Amino acid sequence: MPGFTHLHTVSGFSLRYGASHPERLAERAAERGMDALALTDRDTVAGSVRFAKACAKAGVRPLFGAELAVAAPPTAPGARGDEAVRRDRRRTPVRGGAFIDESAPRATFLARDGARGWADLCRLISAAHTAAGLPLLTWDENHAGGLTVLLGPDSDVGRALAAGRPDRAARLLAPWREVYGDALRLETVWHGRKGTGPGSLRLAARTLGFAAEQRIRPVLSNAVRYADPGLGPVADVLDAARRLVPVDPAKGLDSGEAWLKDAGAMLGAAERIVEAAGFRREAALRLLEQTQATAAECLVDPEDDLGMGSVHFPEPHLVGAGRRTAQRALASRAAAGMVLRGYAGRREYWERMHHELDIIAHHGFASYFLTVSQVVDDVREMGIRVAARGSGAGSLVNHLLGIAHADPVEHGLLMERFLSKERVVLPDIDIDVESARRLEVYRAIIGRFGTERVATVAMPETYRVRHAIRDVGAALSMDPAEIDRVAKSFPHIRARDARAALDELPELRELAGEKEKYGRLWELVEALDALPRGVAMHPCGVLLSDASLLTRTPVVPTSGEGLPMAQFDKDDVEDLGLLKLDVLGVRMQSAMAHAVAEVERASGERIDLDAVPEGDPATYGLIRSTETLGCFQIESPGQRDLVGRLQPSTFHDLVVDISLFRPGPVAADMVRPFIEARHGRAPVRYPHPDLQESLEGTYGVVVFHEQVIDIVATLTGCGRGEADRVRRGLSDPESQGRIKVWFAQRAEANGYDAETIQRTWEIVAAFGSYGFCKAHAVAFAVPTYQSAWLKAHHPAAFYAGLLTHDPGMYPKRLLLADARRRGVPILPLDVNKSGVAHRIELVSESKGSAVWGLRLALSDVHNISEAEAARIAEGQPYASLLDFWERARPSRPLAGRLAQVGALDAFGANRRDLQLHLTELHRGARGGRGDQLPLSGGRRTAPAGLPDLTPEERLSAELGVLSMDASRHLMDDHGTFLAELGVVSARRLREARHGDTVLVAGAKAATQTPPVRSGKRVIFSTLDDGTGLVDLAFFDDSHDACAHTVFHSWLLLVRGVVQRRGPRSLSVVGSAAWNLADLLRVRQEEGLEGVAARLAEPGGAGAESAGDGDGPARRRLAGSDGRPAPAGSAARDPMEDRTIRMPTGYEMHPWADLRPAGDGPAVGRKLWHRSPGSAG
Amino acid sequence: MTVLCVRFELPPPYEAALPRLIGLLEEFTPVVQALPPDGALADLRGAERYFGRTAVELASVIRVRALALHGVDCVIGAGPGPMTARMALRDARPGPARAVPEDGVRNFLADRPVAALPGVGTATARTLCAYGLDTLGRVAAAPLSTLQRLVGARAGRELHEKANGVDRGRVVPDAVSRSLATERPFTRDELDPGRHRRALLSAAEELGSRMRAAGKVCRSLTLTVRYADRTATTRTRTLPEPTAHSAALTEAAYGLYEALGLQRARVRAIALRAEGLDPAERASHQLTFDPVDEKVRRIEEVADRARAKFGPRAVMPGSLAA
Repeated sequence: MPGFTHLHTVSGFSLRYGASHPERLAERAAERGMDALALTDRDTVAGSVRFAKACAKAGVRPLFGAELAVAAPPTAPGARGDEAVRRDRRRTPVRGGAFIDESAPRATFLARDGARGWADLCRLISAAHTAAGLPLLTWDENHAGGLTVLLGPDSDVGRALAAGRPDRAARLLAPWREVYGDALRLETVWHGRKGTGPGSLRLAARTLGFAAEQRIRPVLSNAVRYADPGLGPVADVLDAARRLVPVDPAKGLDSGEAWLKDAGAMLGAAERIVEAAGFRREAALRLLEQTQATAAECLVDPEDDLGMGSVHFPEPHLVGAGRRTAQRALASRAAAGMVLRGYAGRREYWERMHHELDIIAHHGFASYFLTVSQVVDDVREMGIRVAARGSGAGSLVNHLLGIAHADPVEHGLLMERFLSKERVVLPDIDIDVESARRLEVYRAIIGRFGTERVATVAMPETYRVRHAIRDVGAALSMDPAEIDRVAKSFPHIRARDARAALDELPELRELAGEKEKYGRLWELVEALDALPRGVAMHPCGVLLSDASLLTRTPVVPTSGEGLPMAQFDKDDVEDLGLLKLDVLGVRMQSAMAHAVAEVERASGERIDLDAVPEGDPATYGLIRSTETLGCFQIESPGQRDLVGRLQPSTFHDLVVDISLFRPGPVAADMVRPFIEARHGRAPVRYPHPDLQESLEGTYGVVVFHEQVIDIVATLTGCGRGEADRVRRGLSDPESQGRIKVWFAQRAEANGYDAETIQRTWEIVAAFGSYGFCKAHAVAFAVPTYQSAWLKAHHPAAFYAGLLTHDPGMYPKRLLLADARRRGVPILPLDVNKSGVAHRIELVSESKGSAVWGLRLALSDVHNISEAEAARIAEGQPYASLLDFWERARPSRPLAGRLAQVGALDAFGANRRDLQLHLTELHRGARGGRGDQLPLSGGRRTAPAGLPDLTPEERLSAELGVLSMDASRHLMDDHGTFLAELGVVSARRLREARHGDTVLVAGAKAATQTPPVRSGKRVIFSTLDDGTGLVDLAFFDDSHDACAHTVFHSWLLLVRGVVQRRGPRSLSVVGSAAWNLADLLRVRQEEGLEGVAARLAEPGGAGAESAGDGDGPARRRLAGSDGRPAPAGSAARDPMEDRTIRMPTGYEMHPWADLRPAGDGPAVGRKLWHRSPGSAG
Repeated sequence: MTVLCVRFELPPPYEAALPRLIGLLEEFTPVVQALPPDGALADLRGAERYFGRTAVELASVIRVRALALHGVDCVIGAGPGPMTARMALRDARPGPARAVPEDGVRNFLADRPVAALPGVGTATARTLCAYGLDTLGRVAAAPLSTLQRLVGARAGRELHEKANGVDRGRVVPDAVSRSLATERPFTRDELDPGRHRRALLSAAEELGSRMRAAGKVCRSLTLTVRYADRTATTRTRTLPEPTAHSAALTEAAYGLYEALGLQRARVRAIALRAEGLDPAERASHQLTFDPVDEKVRRIEEVADRARAKFGPRAVMPGSLAA
């Protein structure tokens, strides 16, 4: 029996079509005894790299191809265009939208002749994506010398045959035959369906007969959509999600046959087809042979033809090398940099430079450095703040070329961490630019190198639990409100963990109770796990290549910006040898740029942030006070706690602080010894005096990668390049064993005693692969210091920048509360004064000390368009409401919103009267009536006698329109009730003693469940009550009672015990939590008795605590590997215990480190119930 | 204190029982206005003197009689005019009538939400609430000119008067049931136009036969399509001539449906309502030279008779039979 090769197989990368991952397809092919397998995804080759790698692992030869929608040739029958006319004339639906038009016929293209076939495939896919709407290949582009084409049931020919029109099929076949000649195949598919449609035996037989008659070779395929039998319902859900309609059993479901059948089953299918076509049974073998022969022709080698494993840099002449070689150009640029930066007289710098240039020459990466330097120069020329981050900061050459700011020699950064002769991976330089201008940077790069060399990188968005629930729920006709509720109850976990989470998580217990009600939902949700559901542009990667880029990857336009985007994701492009430059948009850079610009605009003072004085006492005072909200990297609750304990006073302290606050150091418990030693409570110890030099700066604690490299290099005497390789090996337990032996031998040979070796090894091994690259930390610490400096010296401008560019983890309203607390006057929105962005304004000036206030921005108004905001700002000042209406031309709802928040107060004090005037202006403008307004003379509008907004309504309007409580803190209104309860304010909490039981209340600002050392799941939350922040921690024992409330309420009342760990380190361990909004309502409606009744209700704790020994969920890891399990068998990973044991012995709770359930931090309107009387 | 607003707690089929209960009210006063499907207004101005009892006392009598004669409980609101009576009814519980005294109207109205006022629909209520006029007390306090600027001259004046307790409405006797409705729900999100049309056909057939049975014709047809997200689209079309002919109703319903152009909308129910009901004998019918029309009407007549004899499913369109 001949073997069988599936020539038509789609994976999950066919968005919402294929139901299996390419890895699983490759595995199954190997298991079922196939030697080769084709991957022909719809409109994409995005899965090819993973597929090729999986095939290599499974021992299967990969074939590459794609399935494309093809437009009819202009001469074909039925292409007269009457169909198009009819479609256009269809009425626009009043609700629900139009059907997704998938009517274009599809053909399968297989790359045949190596690199040429692959290039053709890439070209065809790129061409198909130039169509508006869904990808469609025009007939003019439909030609290629290196491709084999399969015309199956979905092609125009197949459809004509299904309609019983062989004559028409023959006419439609002619243009195909003309273009592809001998490379054309007719594809027969039998899925056991009735009738003559796709997948029916009659169509398969007709196709076979037609092929014989037309003398075109037939092939057999199974049009595979999933790897295993039984996944038909998943395919139905995917179909429904793609077409945006519910699954309709009456319309026909998936046959369930489109799985990766083995050769025997396919032979059986072939026999049925040839018999039905009236041939002898032996013809079945001929059909399989034809299929095999076609597969054998399609030879594309992943290494040679896709370019995996080789590197392509832009041509040297494009990066300023002129006619010289790139290496010569780089050397002369670096030498020029030495002179420019004043290092010319220093020998160590020259030696370091030559050493680095040698390494670069060894790898031939000179073009790469020149390319990055060119990009950085271009960006800087555009006036955009740019900074290098990552290990690239460790290279002196980068510093000399102007890519990195920090001097690596001075900070003790190592080139070897970045690039060494021993390291054979592509080096990686990341550059940070202002986020607001990131796309400008992309366009500049494209302008410099051309679209034939530059493309952005794709990022597949995969199904996680919430989206999976939404799509499956919609497919199963569930109530939309119900779907929304169920989806939002879940934390952001993987879809395959849905049922396990239901069994385990206390906040889902209520939902788990009604689990059965949803039937097949959970099974289908888990089956969708990790399938791509869409493709977005990667937020930072840019591909740079030589002119051959378009022959190696298909490039498609991104949906929003229209930038060219390669179909491969960031891991794939590395495998393909495409150079990727990470251009990260950092919002803090934008915020700081805005702050500096504001200071200059308002006061004329020019600040050069890159030259702010080092060691500024006010800045470090601010940092030590832990009031670091909004400062880069040190604003999270954990960091504020760490900063409070560490008390940094120099730049180096900041570098250490940033490095310590990583999962690794926290896990390896480097924090406590460091702090003890720093404050002199424990002696500083070194394993050996030789190591003092490298460990001195961190009190003998290993914090940085560079230190490990140094330790290994010192003790073993190997080079630093080798030491870096050793450091990388530490993360793998297997290689760790080998390294230990090697380390001991080498150190002994260098004359170190056994005890030193043992102790040093312990330190090195505990460090594992964790710790932090010092080059990263230095690069991070620069903006940290700069932002803290701004906050200390120009607070109003700092907040203006933050609010405009919204960086960080906290909602804007919290930043505003922080500004108010730090004494920055908040000036309300005013159409005559506010700009598009947040501004600063001089409020009062006395004897050299000026008080600057923060003027809120128009762009924060809900639903304002950029054009509207700009028009309002340009037309300032306005003399009257009519003037404003006529010149700024705001939309009616926008004008109403502006009136509500008081932006129009200059034209009349009663905001509701203003609303009425606006409505009449709007009506007048529409009705063509005169612009007569009852004006009471001058600027102000006449009163109409409507009741004005109450203070509560004003606050509600602010929250609704600006998402911020601008005029006062929203908790201020609840003072009486909180006083009745005896709630301790954040300010008074600072005086509370360790161990006190207190009540705290506030608006929830952030909630996290990060991984912690104990391996338990801890919920951290931050409350904001107007006087400061309260950091809360909820441990395992309180989750049953509190988790749901904490995740799903915006205003919280919490009972807890005060924990003190230092003078400025304070948190509250919660034991009970209530939804404060509910309590406030009860207080208002039922009085204190009602509140008492509510508080007396049992919290539900302890009654049914999770005691079920080993539910399936406990055996599973969260986020441990990338591969999904097949449907219904998600719970097979072995896991003995509730915790995950990391390689370093660090234990992690399976549900830790996930974005928690609920809606994220409270913003805007959710914090305030809206009374029926409120405006709008 | 002379007008009663009564809501009967009718057993299904609701509307069928209403005429008998209206008859019960007419024993007290000739001025009774039916409020289908389950209510009625009665003006007891003359009755109070005739029976020598106050309206509230008469209300008790009415309730007792309704319970005794028909086994139907009722809830009654009483007030000086139809508007106050209706609003009082909303407050009422089974038991003694909820009465609003003549001089207490303004107080009674003051803290009601504006939407409670008859004649204030969702749109008007939204407008008024947007301007902070969320209770009738506030509406009453607002200047007339401002109200007129908000909702228009005539509506503004009416609103102003009503909010101030001035009730110019009258009870109009013999105002009969003026609409008929039926709904076809789907068990799942239904996108198939074929099944939508079947639902429309069956709904139109039902409306037609119900109207013909009652000797009525309708002037317009309203289609309501309800979607999975609990929203709905409503369209009304006036018929070329008042009719109860199923074929004409079906055609109009199809026309309304086609105009929506639905494609991917997740339809959960389709409802049809025949409005502007008039006695059939008052309707005129345009004769045509086409004999088919006449034949169809005669077949319908025969089918109606067959249905009357053998049940509603005895004769039906072929496409609904499956």
